Amino acid sequence: MLEELVRAIADMEEELALQLVRDFVSGGGDPQQVLDACRDAMDLVGKRFEAGEYFLPELMLAGDLLEQISAIVKPLLVGGPQASVKTAGTVLIGTVHGDLHDIGKNIVVFMLEVSGYNVIDLGIDVPVEDFVDKVRELKPPVLALSGFLTLAFDSMKETIDALSDAGLRDSLKIMIGGGQVDEAVRSYTNADAFGLNAMDAVSLCRQWLAA
Amino acid sequence: MTGQRLTIIGERINPGFKSTKELFEKDDLSGIQELARRQAAAGADYLNVNIGSRALYDKAFMKEVIQAIQDVVNLPLSFDFPNVDVQAVCLETYDIEKASGRKPIVNSISETRWDMLELLSIRPFKVILMASERLEDGVGRANKFSAEVALVAKRMTEKLISGHGLSADDIFVDVSISALSSDTEGLLHMAIEGIKAISNDPSMRGVHLSGGLSNIVQQLPAKAADGSDLKSQIERAFITLAMPYGFDTVLGTPWKQYEPLAPDSPVLAQFQQIISARGVDAMRLVRKLYRG
Repeated sequence: MLEELVRAIADMEEELALQLVRDFVSGGGDPQQVLDACRDAMDLVGKRFEAGEYFLPELMLAGDLLEQISAIVKPLLVGGPQASVKTAGTVLIGTVHGDLHDIGKNIVVFMLEVSGYNVIDLGIDVPVEDFVDKVRELKPPVLALSGFLTLAFDSMKETIDALSDAGLRDSLKIMIGGGQVDEAVRSYTNADAFGLNAMDAVSLCRQWLAA
Repeated sequence: MTGQRLTIIGERINPGFKSTKELFEKDDLSGIQELARRQAAAGADYLNVNIGSRALYDKAFMKEVIQAIQDVVNLPLSFDFPNVDVQAVCLETYDIEKASGRKPIVNSISETRWDMLELLSIRPFKVILMASERLEDGVGRANKFSAEVALVAKRMTEKLISGHGLSADDIFVDVSISALSSDTEGLLHMAIEGIKAISNDPSMRGVHLSGGLSNIVQQLPAKAADGSDLKSQIERAFITLAMPYGFDTVLGTPWKQYEPLAPDSPVLAQFQQIISARGVDAMRLVRKLYRG
């Protein structure tokens, strides 16, 4: 049944997947196993996306389906919904100052959340000091800087420089994404990595936060 | 609509295109020149120039690229950087004689970077105005409604004409054409309604309405469910809905076909459904375009 569930999610068969989940838990199945199946399914979706077989709408639909499934099974976990807050790690994210674009960032936030990360989103046009203050306060292992405009590359650089000056850089992994980021921009901004899409962001977090 | 033709700002000199990125990486100026010629031959009215992040730290290269392009085509250029320093280099390098006396375009200015108008001290230019954001109480905000788009477009246009000596013909209002593949908030709907609202405003007469059309098909497959060219049909669906309201300029690829679709086109009907939908419902409809 769980294999069937993984397949149904990965193949975007929404109704079937939800029915399988309901049947499984009402038959006394372990809700944690359902969440594990969700993760396996999302891995498959991610692979298909990277292979060019799936596109952005499939990522978002799979993410939405995962949210619906979580809503069904999380209250059933031993210890109640609170017990489910077994986060894979915290990611601080925001669009750098001077840039108001948020579509790409919001997709990254969504995909990180459905992949189990605790995401703190500072929004758009975020001043350098706000990033520094929040990193100091929350000590997240990962910071994700987003920006679409070319001016955002300077803002990313300023933000990362300020984190270094504040002595907060060493304990932090920083990824950048949006617009035309590439290796040249990564090196210009001194980020640790760049991502071209939301699945890259998830993969980077998995690499960095693999406990 | 027969007889009408969109003004085309050729978009290909931009590292967002893989083949162009390679040219920049190899400092292949003759390759860039070839790209300029090819766009001119295909009917471009302007050529947009974007060399990516390198513009921020390699001003000499920026200059060389502009000079190389102007050596082979006489089209006016559009400089695509939201940054005063880079624009200053571009405007100083620009040789208006080589463009038969025609002004360049600064792409782009918005209320949040209004100080870029100080560049007018270098030379007169036309301007692309980003109407997708606005300044409110000193803070930049992304527009989510067509009324906001129309209002900020009007506010900027009035200032440019009364305060900076530009004419309506010097102004291109960019309504910001979002990617269909992630439009869960109705931003394409906002763009089209924004175009309608601006075209209904008599004080905006003569102002051009423009947008970067290639963005609309980002992250979508090449083919529709029936095997036809999905990307081209989506671009043309936007044109079909926007052109009757005065959308007259496209930042795009000159050899693409930028013409309205037939009224009974299935993709046109699906496109209209998608832009009326929101959230995952919109994503479900987008998926239908290529999965059937």
